[in-house]
This record gives sequence, C-alpha cells and structure tokens, in this order.
Amino acid sequence: MVPIVLALSASVASCTKSRSLELTGARSARVEELLPPPAPPESYIGVQLCRACHPAIAATFAQTKMGRLFLNAPRNAKERHACETCHGPGKAHMEAGGGRGKGGLISFARNDPTPIAVRNAICLDCHAKGDRLFWTGSAHAGSDVACTSCHRVMDNVSHANNLAKVNEIETCGTCHLQKRAQQMRSSHMPLREGKMSCSSCHNPHGTVSQALLKESSPNETCYTCHAEKRGPFLWEHVPVPENCMNCHEPHGSNHEKLLKVSMPRLCQQCHVLPGHPSNPYGTDPPSLRFTVARQCANCHATIHGSNHPAGRFFAR
Amino acid sequence: MSARLAATVMMIAALAILTSLGPAAAQVSLGPVNLEGEVEGGVRLLPAAPSQADRQKFEEYRDLPEGAFLGHLRMRIFTPDEQYSLEATGSKWGQRDQEFGLGLGRLGLWSFGFSWDETPHLLSTTARMLETETARGVFTLPTPRPPLDAANFGRRLGEIGVRWDTGRFSFRLTPTPDLELRADYTRIDKRGDRPIGIAFGGPGSNLLETLQPIDETIHDLRLKVNWAHDRWQLQFGYALSIFDNGHRLVTADNPCFGLPAPVTATPPGCGADAGGAQPSGGVSLAPPNQAHTWNLAGGVNLPMNTRINASVAYGLRFQNAGFLGQTVNPALVSPLLGLPAGSLDGTVATTHVSLQAVTRALSPLTLSAKYRYYDYNDVTKELQFAGRAVNDRLVVAENVVALRPDFTKQNADLDAKWRFGGLLAVTVGTGWERWDRNEKVREVPTTDEYFARAVVDLTPADWLTAHLTYRPSARRIDAYNTWTHYLSQHVDPVSPAALANNQSPLLRKYDEGERDRQRLDLLLSIAPSDRLTGTVNAGWKSDDYLRSPLGLQGATSWSAGADLTFTPFERLSVSAGYVREWIFEKQRARSGTDATSDWISDNADTVDTAHVGLKAKLSERIDWRLGASYSTATGTVQTRNAGGVTPPPAVSAKRVPAFVDSLLRFDAGLRYRFRDDWTAGLAYAYETFSQHDWRSDMLNPFVPAVGSSILLGTQPHGYDAHVVTLTLGYRFR
Repeated sequence: MVPIVLALSASVASCTKSRSLELTGARSARVEELLPPPAPPESYIGVQLCRACHPAIAATFAQTKMGRLFLNAPRNAKERHACETCHGPGKAHMEAGGGRGKGGLISFARNDPTPIAVRNAICLDCHAKGDRLFWTGSAHAGSDVACTSCHRVMDNVSHANNLAKVNEIETCGTCHLQKRAQQMRSSHMPLREGKMSCSSCHNPHGTVSQALLKESSPNETCYTCHAEKRGPFLWEHVPVPENCMNCHEPHGSNHEKLLKVSMPRLCQQCHVLPGHPSNPYGTDPPSLRFTVARQCANCHATIHGSNHPAGRFFAR
Repeated sequence: MSARLAATVMMIAALAILTSLGPAAAQVSLGPVNLEGEVEGGVRLLPAAPSQADRQKFEEYRDLPEGAFLGHLRMRIFTPDEQYSLEATGSKWGQRDQEFGLGLGRLGLWSFGFSWDETPHLLSTTARMLETETARGVFTLPTPRPPLDAANFGRRLGEIGVRWDTGRFSFRLTPTPDLELRADYTRIDKRGDRPIGIAFGGPGSNLLETLQPIDETIHDLRLKVNWAHDRWQLQFGYALSIFDNGHRLVTADNPCFGLPAPVTATPPGCGADAGGAQPSGGVSLAPPNQAHTWNLAGGVNLPMNTRINASVAYGLRFQNAGFLGQTVNPALVSPLLGLPAGSLDGTVATTHVSLQAVTRALSPLTLSAKYRYYDYNDVTKELQFAGRAVNDRLVVAENVVALRPDFTKQNADLDAKWRFGGLLAVTVGTGWERWDRNEKVREVPTTDEYFARAVVDLTPADWLTAHLTYRPSARRIDAYNTWTHYLSQHVDPVSPAALANNQSPLLRKYDEGERDRQRLDLLLSIAPSDRLTGTVNAGWKSDDYLRSPLGLQGATSWSAGADLTFTPFERLSVSAGYVREWIFEKQRARSGTDATSDWISDNADTVDTAHVGLKAKLSERIDWRLGASYSTATGTVQTRNAGGVTPPPAVSAKRVPAFVDSLLRFDAGLRYRFRDDWTAGLAYAYETFSQHDWRSDMLNPFVPAVGSSILLGTQPHGYDAHVVTLTLGYRFR
C-alpha cells in the first residue's frame, strides 16, 4: 500500500510542479506527460465501493450521459473504471479514510490543487477530437480556463452538453458580462428567448477563425442563417462581402436592425457626397424622408447587394 | 378545431397518459424497456396583457397565449442495459414558438437526432396599408389614385412578421472511440412579410413602404469525419448550403400616379412627384444561391512539447438566377436597356488556410505562432451595361461595368508567455493583419495593421485571479484613391464635375483608413469561498482615425460590470450583477463642396443592465425563486455645424431628441413537490417595456412633412404585461 500512496503522491507533486502548463491540446504529447502514470489494477476499487460512501453523487452521475456510458456500456478498460477514470484510483483514498483530497484523488473542485492543465488533460484524453481539435493555442486554453469552469459532469445542470450552469448564456456570461448584457438590448437576436445560443456562432473550444467563430469568417457565420445576403450579386455593396460587422453589432444593439449607429449617420460615415447631399438630416421636414421608417433604406432597399440590372444604387 | 385548441388537447392527453403510468414503480417498466422523463404543463393567465397593437416587442420572438400550455416534456425509453434509448422532447406545443425533439441511439456507438423549432419574428403590429395584394408581392391601388391622406385610413395589417421553421436531422456514428462520422442536415423555412421600400421617381422623389413577401428556404448539409490518433488528429468536412427564394420581385402601384395637387392641398396630392410618374414600380429580392465548402484540418504532436494545427478550407459560391428586366414599365423601351447576359453566372472562390504552432520546449516559456489566410476571389465576369432604367420612367445612357470585389486578408500572431511560479504569468506578443483589396473596387489597395499585446495573469491568492490585457495597434495604408471605384466602373471618360459630385477627396472610409487603436481589458475572478464567487469585468477601447478630415474621426467605448453569487447556506443562493456600457463616435461630413457646409455629429449610447436573483429552498418540498432584470439605453445624436460660419439653411444642423428604451422584468415563482414525483408551481412575471423614438412615436403612413411618400406607419409601442402561470409537473423515472 505504501508504495502505491507514494507513487500517487509523487504523481500529484509533479503535477503541482507543472501547474502552469496550459498546453493541453487534443491528446498531445503534453497531455500524455500530464496524465498520471498508469496505475496497477489493484489500486482501483470499483464503482460499488465509491457508491457506498457517495451514494447521492453516484445516483446523480448515473443520470448523466457519461454516467450511463461508463456504468452501463463502457467501450474500453478506461471507461470501465467509471468514477476512477477521471478521479484516479481510489484505493489510497479509501484506505486513508476518505475525505477531500485524501489519497491523491483529483476532485476537479475550484480549489483542487491539481493544476488546470492536468485536469484538462484528463478530459481531453477522451474528448480529443471534433470540436476540441483546436483547443491548443485557443484563447481559452491560453487563459488557463479549465474544462470544469464551464462543464459539470456529475449531474445534469443543463439540458445538454453538461454545462456548469443552466444554459450557455449563463455559462459564458460568467466571464463575458458585457456580451450577456447586450442580449437585453431592444434590437437583439433571439438569445434571451432561448432560440439561439452562444454556440450558434462560436466554438469556445477553439477554431481556426478569429473570435472563436465556427465558420471561416464573420460573414460565413452570418450566412448560415442569412444566406440571402451571400450573393454574389450583380452589384455588390463592397464593404458587405468583407465584413457584416462593418455595420452590425451581432450581440445586441439599441439601434434598429442591430446597427452600430442609427441610419442615416451610419451611412454618412462613408457617404459624404455632394451628388446626394450629405445633409445633417434631423427633425426638419426636408430631412424626414431620410430619418423615419427605414431611413436610407427607404429607397436603398437592396443595400446588401442587388441583382437587378438597374440596381447599381441598391434602390432596385 | 384550431391549431391551438388541438395542441391543448394533445398536451392534456400527453400529461394524462404519461402520469397514468407513474405510480407503478420508481422506474416505469414497459415490458422489455424502461421509461423515464418528466412533463410539465399548466395554464397561463394574462390578467393585464398588451393590446394587439402593443404586442410587437412583447412577442417579438415568442408566443405567449392565454390558456393551457406545455412547459416541457422529456420522455426517454431505454433498454435495461442502457444500450438503446429513444428520447422525445418538446415544449410550447401548439404555440408559434413550439419545439420538438427526437433522439435515438445506441450508447457510445451511434445516435440519430431530429429537432423542430419554430421562431416567430414579429416586426410590426401597427401598420396600415391602402394597397391590395392581388398576388404575392403585387400591390395595387385603384385608378384614379386616392388622395395621399387616405393611407392613414387604410386597413390595419395586424401582424407583420416572419416565422422561421427550423428542422434538423443529425446522425453520428462512432465505430471506435477514435473515429467519428457525422452528418447534419438543417432546413430553415422563412415565411411571412417584411417592410420594404420602393422608390418611384428619381432621387428625391416619392417612395412607398410596402411588404416584401418572404418565402425563403435554406438547406444546409454538413458531413464530417473525425479521426483521433494518439499523436495526431484529422478532420475532413464538406458543407453544402442552398438558398432558395420563392419571390424575385415586389411591385406596387405608385400612389402619386395622376395626383398633381400639392401635398399641402385638401385633399393632398403629390405635386411635382406626380409629373411624369409611372403607374407602378418594383424592387428586386435576393436571388437563389448556393455554396460548397471542403475542409481538411488536423493537428500533430511533435517532440519537445510542440503541437502544430493546420486547416485548409476551399469554398465555391454560385449565383446564376436569370436577370429581371430593367423595368416593370412595359412602355419604357430603349435599346439601351439591353442586357449583356441572361444571368450573372456568379462564382466566388474562397480559400482559408490556418496554421498554428505552440511549443513549451523551453519551460516555463510558452511560444505560440498563428497565421491565417483568407482569400475571397470573385471570378465572375464583369458585365458591361449600356444604359439604365432610372426608376421605371427614364432611361439614361451610361457605359458601366459591374466590378467584382476581391480581397485577401492575412494575419499573424506571435506570443510568448512566461510564468513566474503560480503567482504571475506575463505574455507579450505582436501581430499583423493585411488586407489586399481589388484596387479597381476599393479606395485602398493595401492596409497593414500592426499589433502589440501585453497580458498579465496574476493570482495573488487562491481566491483571486486577474487577467489584464493591453492591445495597441496601428493601421497604415499605401494610398487612398477616392474615385477608383467610380472611374473603374465607367467605361467612358468621366468629367471632373462628375467626380467632384461623386465623393469628397477629404473622406477616409473607416474600414480602410489609417487608425490608431488602444484597447485595455480587465477580468477579475473572485472566489473567497465556495459560497461566494464573482467576476469583475472592465474594458476600454479608443480608435483615432488619422488624416481623415471627413468621415469617422474617432470612437471611444468603455464598459464595466460585476457579477456576484452568494450562497450563505445550502438552501439559499442570491446573485446580482450590473454592467454599464458607453459607446461614443464622432463623425464629420460635408454636404457640399464648401467648408461652411461641414457638420459634426457626436453619437453616444449609454446602456445600463442590471439583474438580481434569489433561489431558496424553504423546505424539503418548497422552492422559491425571485428575479429581476432591468436594461435601459439612451442614444443621442448631437449634430452641429463645424466652425463659426453660418451654414446655408439646408445644412444647418439641429439636435434631435434622444432615443430611449428600457425593459424591466420581474418574476417570482413557488414550486411545491408532493408525492415525491409531482410538482405544483405558481409563477408570476411582470414585464414593462418602453421606447421613445421621435422617428416613429407618432408615425402615420402619410405625414405631410415627409412629403408625398407613403409609409406603413409602424410604431414600436411600449407595453406592460402581467403573466401568471399555474403548472403541474410529473417526473416518471
């Protein structure tokens, strides 16, 4: 027994030493180094003994997707260890009489001394592929975000994806307070109504695009639902194919149509042309046709691009 | 039987059937399979509901009818060994925002999913219209035309909006833990109407705001293969997106046709806009298009704690819908209106390459490098037109080319992070971003932006972490060619007067011009104990547009907020948060060629958002929750003339009233558990929304000050709503 405890202690100590390691990419070499060394079979106690002392936790875990898989249909030896797959072999913990942190178990709690890199490596040992492919080097990996900062696997807090809070907005909003606040603005996409979520556009696990967008560019992300804007059109409004966010604030705005600034001022930031007087349109009667209803788009209805032969000025 | 009544009956029947299964056992056994899940339904009462005209913001993306409703249903049927399962979910059945879901799978091997979601997008509840829609997208008026003010007595349109129906199929096969095959198909159907404007005369003449018929479908198919080896991972994907539009054109009769009386006459007419007015006009709608994307991505682990990720994506977009005619006016005939082709035959190729390398070869130093390349190559033939129908009544000769907007965007980042024990980590980095644009199309052929980055991660105590980021950048350009687009578009020589009339040479467009940017962000995470956690967040950004006498001059924004959750004991949790955001932009424009016509506009938005919440377990059986959120935004546009010279009257700037909106929501609920698996709930919610926007507060279809144009008269109203819900839930397991 003593050698086993020593081995585990050494393992944790070496992990602690490397607390700063954030290189937790998809089953990278680093992951393999971070993972505790394989433990001898006799150091595992089995789920029945875990359940004996932690019946409530075991019961809620059994209701989760991971719990169902591990407890009912494990696909390999790793999954067959159930609780000990992630927390580590439990014999030392049991023989120490139990208790938080006893026997070198990894608790994944906020104050767990186990380095975030090691905790993440345990998750990534199985969840290496798919959406986590670009975790290494991603903004969240670089900021030492733990998998368990956003996910909770022991019970079903959220309807899907084992989130730490009831939904994505609450989970992401833990740190991104401004973005969460923006969904409350009068012009917004249906986020607060639960019809969209942060992951409709972003992949928090890392992507090849900027701002963790799921698609290759901001526009390709928007075209997923707004494909009518994709074109190509005969007459292109040239800033449009470059970036929708030249004019729009997708997280929410207090201006119509998620615009960054109300029309006509938004348009007048680029269109300063005597031929179509760039007057300081306001409340006076000659101005009103430019300031009420659809403002500039009263006439320039096809401002995202026109395929009409006479649509050069986006009025057709 | 109405859909809503049918849904109510369905919901009650489902509740009755499912709950009748319950008392049999803790886990309901249905012969060879077991059943678990929960269902919650109830009655919603609206003791004070917004009137039909006030419901636009209340039900913008949701449906809140009075009567019975299904809150939530989940039913999972599974074999005792959990190998196979079938799960059905649903909510809000019979409502316009209903959801269904179905999942079938073998644990760890394959899964099939289907979901159906309906989302209404209510755009107006106050519009009026005099025209008759004789066919979808065809709006007619009687001849002779009614006087303009008759539009204010047109029929009420009720609700104008678009409903999105989204169906998704997904299939995932994991033959081994290292291999995953995925197929996803999504279909989005959009049906409804949306306001759109039709301009009839030349610039400055009358317009009509009418309805655009929405009958659009998006098909999205994605296939993906993931292969994860111990040392490397590979991913291949293909995506197909098809957009189909059931309508290509909206036409409407011109309200000014044959109405020569002045707008100020009784009854009002169109004055000069009636002169030569054509009977009707039209505006085109988005043509069908499709896009294909192939993607190959992978990552490999190298010696010395190094990982490299790479991705290549190639896409093709096509649009080849037949051109509409130059005019809807059959009397307008000219050889200048001939088209150079029957369709655009539009093709765009996009290429996206990404490379990332991260190494910790020199511990505790982490080095990371990223490079991205995105190319948008529009290979469509540039079509040349000899003339144009100006708003269906006039033909002008103009030899113009439809230019194609190509661009390439590249960026690179290099970061070094050094950690000093567990207390401090410092990251320094640099970055670069280049845009190369088609020099025939855009004013600036090349922009280069250079970034620096400094990040400090500080963990002075176990309960406190701070993340401070400072990112200055400088964007520089090679040249600013004001008239490049105009000159390239026109085949024939352009006169200096035409150029001067086209654009001011003093303008620098904000997305291309030179800019210095400063950006500072702070994130504090606080967790003095498991019972108290919080986040403090602050950000500041300042943009200074250089050498830009006209256009956007500068932009500054800041935000600050905090969020705290306190759980003094297990039965009670309270949370509170507040965020303030301030966004400011200063722009300068000129309405003529004379500097006395300059004007400056300071645009500012101030937004406050706050929330509080409480969750308490009053007893083993009673849960209580309380919450409130409030958001208010004030937008100001303060425009003034530049300099001390008195400007001409037409360009004399005046302040406009601020736009103000606020939303307050308060909700409280009690939930009582009885007989172990049953719950009864009582909830109350109060919502009040107000909006003051001088542009729409009293907007009618005909407003004499707007001239001879006719609008829909959409007015987003505020509302007050009290919502009471009584629910009954049952959990079968």
